[in-house]
Parts: sequence; C-alpha cells; structure tokens
Amino acid sequence: MTRAVDSMAQTRRDFLWQAGGGFGAVALTALLAEDGFFGHSARAVAAGDASSAPRLPHHPATAKAVICLFMYGGVSHLETFDPKPELNRRSGQPMPNLDRDPLFKVRHPGTLLGSVSKFRKHGQSGIEVSELFPHLARCVDDLCILRSMRADSFAHGSGLLQMNTGYLRLGYPSLGSWISYGLGTLNQNLPAFVVLLDPRGGPISGPPNWNQGFMPAAYQGTQFRVQGDPILNLSPPEGVSAKQQRNQLDLLAELNRRHQQATPDNSELAARIASYELAFRMQSHAPEAVDLSQETKATRRLYGLDNPQTAPFGRRCLLARRLVERGVRFVQIYSGGGHAEQTWDAHKDVLTNHTLHCGETDQPIAALLTDLKQRGLLDSTLVVWTSEFGRTPTGQNGKGRDHSPRGFCTWLAGGGVKGGQTIGATDEFGYAAVENKVHIHDLHATILYLLGIDHERLTYFHGGREHRLTDVSGRVVEEVLG
Amino acid sequence: MTGSRVSLGLFFLLAVSVSALAAETLPRSAHWAFQPVRPVPIPPVRQRDWPRSPIDAFLLARLEKAGLQLAPDVDKRTLLRRVYLDLIGLPPTPEEQQAFLEDPSPDAFARVVDRLLARPEYGERWARHWLDVARYAESNGYERDGAKPNAWRYRDYVIDSFNRDKPFDQFAREQIAGDELPGSNAETQIATTFLRLGTWDDEPADFLVDRYDQLDDVLGTTATAFLALTLRCARCHDHKFEPFSQADYYRMLAVFEPLKRPEVVVSATHRREHERFVGSEEELQGYWGSVGMQTALLTGALLPALSGQPRFLAAPQLNLMAKFQTPQPPQAHIWYEDSPQAPVTHLFRRGDPKRATVAVSPGLPAVLVRRQPAPPTPLAHSTGRRLWLANWITSPDNPLTARVLVNRVWMHHFGKGLVATPNDFGVMGARPSHPELLDWLADWFMAQGWRLKPLHRLLVLSHAYQTSSASDADVSRGEQKGALFGRWRQRRLEAEAVRDSILAVSGQLNPQRGGPSVFPPLPRAVLEGQSRPGDGWGQSSPRQAARRSIYVFCKRSLAVPELELLDTPDTTCSCEQRPLSTTAPQALTFLNGAFVQEQAAHWAARLRREAGEDPAAQVRRAFLLALCRPPQPEELRLALDFLSRQERQIEADARSCGQSAGDARQRALAAFCVVLLNTNEFFYIG
Repeated sequence: MTRAVDSMAQTRRDFLWQAGGGFGAVALTALLAEDGFFGHSARAVAAGDASSAPRLPHHPATAKAVICLFMYGGVSHLETFDPKPELNRRSGQPMPNLDRDPLFKVRHPGTLLGSVSKFRKHGQSGIEVSELFPHLARCVDDLCILRSMRADSFAHGSGLLQMNTGYLRLGYPSLGSWISYGLGTLNQNLPAFVVLLDPRGGPISGPPNWNQGFMPAAYQGTQFRVQGDPILNLSPPEGVSAKQQRNQLDLLAELNRRHQQATPDNSELAARIASYELAFRMQSHAPEAVDLSQETKATRRLYGLDNPQTAPFGRRCLLARRLVERGVRFVQIYSGGGHAEQTWDAHKDVLTNHTLHCGETDQPIAALLTDLKQRGLLDSTLVVWTSEFGRTPTGQNGKGRDHSPRGFCTWLAGGGVKGGQTIGATDEFGYAAVENKVHIHDLHATILYLLGIDHERLTYFHGGREHRLTDVSGRVVEEVLG
Repeated sequence: MTGSRVSLGLFFLLAVSVSALAAETLPRSAHWAFQPVRPVPIPPVRQRDWPRSPIDAFLLARLEKAGLQLAPDVDKRTLLRRVYLDLIGLPPTPEEQQAFLEDPSPDAFARVVDRLLARPEYGERWARHWLDVARYAESNGYERDGAKPNAWRYRDYVIDSFNRDKPFDQFAREQIAGDELPGSNAETQIATTFLRLGTWDDEPADFLVDRYDQLDDVLGTTATAFLALTLRCARCHDHKFEPFSQADYYRMLAVFEPLKRPEVVVSATHRREHERFVGSEEELQGYWGSVGMQTALLTGALLPALSGQPRFLAAPQLNLMAKFQTPQPPQAHIWYEDSPQAPVTHLFRRGDPKRATVAVSPGLPAVLVRRQPAPPTPLAHSTGRRLWLANWITSPDNPLTARVLVNRVWMHHFGKGLVATPNDFGVMGARPSHPELLDWLADWFMAQGWRLKPLHRLLVLSHAYQTSSASDADVSRGEQKGALFGRWRQRRLEAEAVRDSILAVSGQLNPQRGGPSVFPPLPRAVLEGQSRPGDGWGQSSPRQAARRSIYVFCKRSLAVPELELLDTPDTTCSCEQRPLSTTAPQALTFLNGAFVQEQAAHWAARLRREAGEDPAAQVRRAFLLALCRPPQPEELRLALDFLSRQERQIEADARSCGQSAGDARQRALAAFCVVLLNTNEFFYIG
C-alpha cells in the first residue's frame, strides 16, 4: 500500500478519461488543456497525493460557477433581511436571558436597539426586505434567504477564515480552492478562481482568505484588478513592446526545446514550456475579459457605472459576469476593504454605515442578478451573498452594533436554488438562530452540492489523513434546492 | 495500489480497508518503521566496478534484480553545477568551473565537495530545508499578523548549527528542551523557538480551545519533524489508521502541558505576548550586574526587577534600558516553564477541553516502546518532561529519528525520499523503496555521531549521484530506473535557490550573514491585498534587499511573489516536501516583474564589464554564469540573431512613438538575460 507519489504519469488525466459520462466533453478538454496553466501540472497532484485526484461530479450539477459577494465587516441582518418586531418594541430595554451566552454577556452589555431601517414586503413571495436595498428588493423572488446562519467567531480575522475555509485556524484551503481542485477551470486562458478586492483595501487576514492552504499553489485565488494590469505582471514592463516580448519568447522556446531533447520524458519541462505560451495568450485574453468598454451603455448604466457611488462595486459585478461567461469557476467580490467604516463593521452608527455600503452595492447586485437572468446564465451561476457574521440586537456606542456570529443572514440565488423563500429563523430579538440552524459547514456543503459535489467525498490527503472543506460535519440544506 | 489505478474513485475506501486489515491481522508492532534499526550487510552485486560507496551497492543490487541498466555518468560541468546548487544553492562561478575542469586528479570532485561543505553558504542552503520542517515564520498570522520579533535568532541558530556540523541528536535535544539541558545557555534556549513558531491569534474565539490548539501545534510538529508520526490525528479519538490511541496523544500532551506562553491578557477578548531574555545564569548575571543596567533600572525606580535575574521586562523598562544604551541580554521568542510542579493533564472526550476525563501522566506512544521509560525527573525550575522526551527521541533505541532524518537528507540530494512521505512513516505512509539501505544509512549515521556533513559526503560522492539524467529510448524502463535511483532525477530548484541564483548571476548578491530579516520591495498590487497596505512590511535598502532569500522576512499573510509563486511552503504546519506548481503567473512574474527586470539590467552591465563589447563574448560569459557551460554553436547563433533583431526592434519601437531608444544594445542584452534566467535549464538541477 503506497500512495503512489511517484506515478505522476497517472493522475487527473487518466482519471478524467475513466470518469467517462456525466461530465461534459467541453469540460473534459478544458481540464486536459489546463495542465500546466492556472490549473496544475500532473505532477502537482502527484506530489500531494494520488488519492487527491478529483473524482467528479458526484451527481448532476445545477451550478457551473459561483459568484460570491462577500460583505466584509459583518452586515447587520437586523437592518437588511431579518425584520424583528419584538426587538423594535423593546428597544432601549435590557436584553433578557443575557446569561445564556457567557461570552455575549462580557462583550455586549448594552440595551436592545430596534432596527434603524424599515422593512417592506416585496415580490410575489412577499418577503420583507429593508428599505436600504430598494433595487435588490425587486429581485427578492430569486433569493433564498437563510435567516439562521451560524458561525463560531466573534472576531473578523477568524470569522473571515471560517467563512472562506471552514476553519477558524489558518492553513486550510478556501472554498474557491476546493472548487478549483474539484472541478478545474472551463477556460484555460483564465484562472479558475478569481478574487476582486475593494479598492479601499483587502480584508483582514489578507491572502489566507483566498489561499490554497496545504494544496499546491496552483489552486490559490488570483487577484484581478479592475483598473491597470488585471493580473500581477501581466504586461511587459515599460518600453518592452509585444513584438519584443514575442522575440524573447521565441528565443526562450528554442533554447528550451533544445534542452528538452535530452530528457523528452520529463513532463515537467513540457509543462513549463507550455506555461510561457499560455502566459503570452493570457496577455491578450485577460485584458479582453476585463475590458468593460465592450459592454453596451445600457448595461453599464444598469450596473451603476455612471454613478460614482455605485461604480466601484458595479465594475466588479460586471467583471464577475464577464469572467463567469468566459468559464471562470469561482469569483469572489469583496465589498468593504481596510478597516472600520470603510467596511460593514458598524460599531459607531449602523444607519450611517449601512446606508453607505448598501448604497454602494444595492444597484450593482440587482443588476448582476438581472443581467445574468437576461442572458440565461443565472440558471447555471450560483450567486452567494454573505458576511463573516451578523450584528448584535443590542446597541453599541449608542447607534452602533457589535459582532454577532450566533445568528445572521446569507442569501443564495440562481444555480438551481429555489428562490422566493426564507429558511430558518433567529429568536425574537434576532440574536441567535433557533430554527433550522445553518452552520457555515452546512452552507459550504450546500454550495458544493449545487456544483455536483458531495462534500463528504471531496477530500485531500494531508498530514496523515483526508481533509474536507466541511471538516467532520456539514449537511446539505435540502430546502434550498429547487 | 500502483497497478490498479482504474480504481482511483475507490481509493479512499480501499485505503481505509487495507489499513484496517493491517491493524487487525498483524501484530501492531510489525509495521516496518517501528522495528529497531539493525545493522545490514552490504549486498553483493554483479557489476563490481560500479559502486563507489556502500549505498551504490544497495542501489545497484535492486537495479540488477529488476534487470535495469545504469545510466551513464554525467559530464563534469553538469555535475559541478548540480553539486553547487544542491549543497550551497548557488551556481559555480566561471573561475570555479575552470579550476575544476582543469584538475585531472581523481579526488578533484571530492575536494570540491569538501570545500562546499566548509562554506557558510552551505548552512544557508540546508537550514532552509529544516525551516520547512519546523513551519518557520516570523509572524503570527490571523487578523493582525503581528511579528515574532526574535524568530530570526532561531533561523541563525539553525544556519549556525548546520555550518558547525552540530550532531543532529544534540540539535534535536536543543530544540525540544534547550532550556532544560545541562549547560543550558542562550544558544540552546534560542533553539526552543522551534516550539513557538506556530500561528497565534491574539483574539481567539475561545481561549481554552486555543490553548490546546497551540499545544497541539507543538506536539504535532515535534512528532512530525523528528518521528514522522501523524500523532495529531489522535486528538479527538483513537487514530483511524495508525496504531495510536487517544491516550497516546494525551500522554504526549502531558510533556508539553507545563509550557507557558509569555503573554498578558489585556481585555476579555485580547491578549499580547512578549519575548524572553535568554542566557545561562552566568550569562545573565553579566548583564544584570552591570553598572549601566543598575543605573537604568534604579533611575526608573524599578527595583523589583533587580531581584533575581528577570527573564522578561515590560516595555517601559526596556525603553529605559534603550535610553541608557544598556547592553541587554538577547531576547528570544520562546515558551517557558518556571516550576518543577506540572499541571494535571486530562484526556479530553472528543478532543474538547471542556470535557476533561481521566488524568494521564507523560508517556510515549505505546506501540513504539516495549515499556515506558522511568518517569521524568523534575528540575529546579521546570518539570524535566521535555528533556525526558528529547532524550528518548534521540536515543539509539528509537526506531524512527535517525531513519526520518537520513530520509530527509536523501530526498534533498536525490529528489525523492527512500520513503516518499518524509513526514509520515506510519502505516498510511509510503513504504521505503530500499528498506535495507535506509536502515544501513540510519545505523551508519548514528554510529558516526549523528553528523550531517559526513552523510552529505557519503551521498554526494556515490556513483548514483553522478549519473546522467538523459532519457532512455525505452521510456517506461527509464522511469523505473529513475524510481530506483539508477538515473538522475531532474528537479526544479526551490524558490529561494532560484532567486539567490539570479542575484548571484547578476552580481548583486549581498553575502552578509545573519541578523534581523530584510524586506525586498513588493509590487503595489501585492500590498493591496492587505487590509492596511504595507502593514508589517518594512523597507530595506536595495543592498539589503539583495541578500539571500533565507534572510527575507517570512510573513504569514504576505509574500514576495517570486518566492510564493514557486511554492514556498505553507507555514501553518510542517512541510515535508514542497509541492510543484507550474503556472502562467510564474512565467509572467519572471518575464515582466520588477525583480527580474532589474537583475537582468545589472547582469547586462556586468557582462559588458567582464566580456567587453563583443556580443559573442557576452553571450559566452552569460552562458557560463547562468548555466555553467559555454553555448553550443547553434545556441550562440540564436543568441546573436536575437540580440541584433531585438536591438532593431527596440529602435523601431522607440521611433514609432517618437522617443529615444536609449542604449538599445544594452537593452537588447538585458532582454537576452531575462530569457536565460527563464530557461528550464536555469530553473532545473540537471
């Protein structure tokens, strides 16, 4: 019994041929072509473990791609998707049963603070949405709102890690890495997993939020920038024209070809040669993918690109649609960057903070859903809207709210999700999830399920055992499925 | 398993059932790695003139049995480049090449090896391999990713230990229990930084759980680094695949439980950590007794600090000492113990520290010992438990430590371990390809005093090390031969060796050794990923930034792209072998990134200085510097064609945008340099 670390010849490639039906021919060719590019070389998998070779899909997928809208800092569910009449009635009173959660007692001794925004019913489903999201409210029949989300950390750092990797600790692959590892990319000229940060800065903890943990570096998220070079070092340096670069690549290819003659059986050398040609191709593909000027004026206006408040997030949403159209598997967009009020972290004044951030994102998110739908892409694209945790029903600094992981909202749309419904509930004040609780592991299991992956069978061998995105728990939230 | 690849989909299930079977039908201690290391006779071979060392005989015997031919010898130039990159991580200079080529004596290569092993660059190269195993980083990770201010002292300690050829058993004992060893001093105490290199959250979700997560990191890393055991898997339940019980885990936990982390709780949710002074009683007395120190402390009315020899001082006291320019004892990033009394260790149900069950005392995994050794003897200020463990880990009776270490060294020389899973010698790990050779090496290694330099010498002077990598006409036989070490395995250089080689070739490498880490400039796009762009990343002068990569600050949340893209290790746990990714972003960064562009420009200037204005001479010099060989005639022609074509293109491009082309010839030469630095030959040890 060996882990066959040395048999690099037989890996993903062989598996794919053996996997046979149920996995489209397009995907198959793309996966084969992907070796040595943003995906991984055959050897990369072998170096990890042969048992890590994906065996997918486990069942027919309803979603091919995911766009994850990450509202960094902690969105207040109480001002967005979880109306609480009882909280409003008892605003200003102490929270009863404060002792139920010792940590809560230490951190949040304040009194209850009624919702600072008003809710109204929308759509055929009649789901209540806050007035802070007037555009998004019109899409409510596409949303499946999980009102009973649970996380385990009160801090941004570990909270972000848990939402992104399933673990509070560092060192684990992110959701996007698991998906790239499992499904590969559909476009060899673009990465499988792209991250679009807020121009104001990255989230706390930085790159570990989109890193590959113990997997090979090929599975990490690639930061794309909306302006300037979309990918690090994509363009030749100043003064080096495309023709000059082509000359360099031609010489390089010729020297490499001659060098390879002595060891034609070393597939690593061939992969490295291919990576330079692919890099050259990407120099035209990536700028094309991020070139928003190719969009019609109407589309640009739909995403709010004509309005300075909505334009930054709108550009990222529009770019996400273009990337998904071109075969990218997982796009993560951050709203909020850096610290404090630049994020959703509304400690001081939840109304001011959320008016700002909802205002920046409302129209672009609605536009993304509308646009995907018009193009027939929403059926195969899962949109996830989430935060690392919610906020407390008690006030802080008067009009602010503190972090609260015990109950908050996430919503899903498209990709086979049944829209126009809410799932689960928090208690009367909106503090803790009490009905049909959905832990982050459950959310991850559900996302993987929609992509055709059984979260218990997508494993990676490391440190003496198989690892999963969902650790040793997680359940698919059946009600989500259409 | 290797033959039945069709069943990949069933691999996991099969793996489980196979190991379950193994555990049931065999006595548990029958696993190969848990048997004592025994002297093994050197096997006879047919081709008696081939072996140059005992290891050749072991390898050849296997190859002959498989009916495989040996690969021919490698040429002298390739061999020289191979051994330089392998032992010191830098290419040989043209002068060193010349000296070797012109030395016809039979021991010319052996003398090169001896010279390399004596060079300080050897320690800088091989320390890095150990830092991978030790999950070395200089920051804590998590939200603030705060610095571990003195972690670099541990890095220097490791480099120094390799350079002085410290016996590995001593090296191991110092890292686990350097504060408990007889004759403990600043050096051995710094060694225990090993235990505190893990990640650390200053705002943990749960303080109690976090405490045991940290101890799990310490226990797990120790078990992995020295014993190649995946003991961590037994934290919540008996190990599912290996013969380790949950009790084994907690008995080992009891060894580390007395450790205290120097930290102060600053609020209900936050804490701050601090550093500790290191030194023997005498070393510290020298500092604390000094007049300057006394004045500094008295002036600050901080008398209590003078009673005894404090191991740490608060920030105001430290500031005062700095103000008086008082010489301070070195500080280190270490845990501590201060009492011979140990806290009680409990077995936690499902690993949950809130569900303590029975009390356990320190002990070794039952499967590894016939009976538990006598319990640890408490020392004056500590429980003596880690010393007790370290002594067992390095005792000749331990079946694992020497095997694990020689396998790691073998892997770095030959590209693959004799055991292909260097951090897992358990039932789930790979079986050794050459079990007798592994045992012979382990036995030999211990017998000659656990020293690494003789081991390097033995391996590098073998005939197997000096074979060619050229492919066979018969690919599958070629692969088999490679798997059995009958043919050299080409392999990509590690990230650090690539970057260091670029600096060496360009002439910019700053050879300064040791001390606090340096910060090469990072592209803005990389800093933008941080919540506070630039936070925790200092600024170093270009001269400082051009030091070897082992001196580059190792930050958990931020990395130099040239290093990270080439698979520098994940620092959250011990890394046994680096993964290998080949991606387009690598190509882009090494073609277009500022680092390579700048070094290529320096290199082009160097070529003009050293080879004059003749393009052919420049190309020849460039090949010698980067690839350790002159260009073949066809390559020279290609290069010269490129230079003139590129020069014309640069001029044409400048004309078309109405700018001056500057020194088009120089720019064309730099463009050529970029190409050479990107070749497979440059990136690979051939």
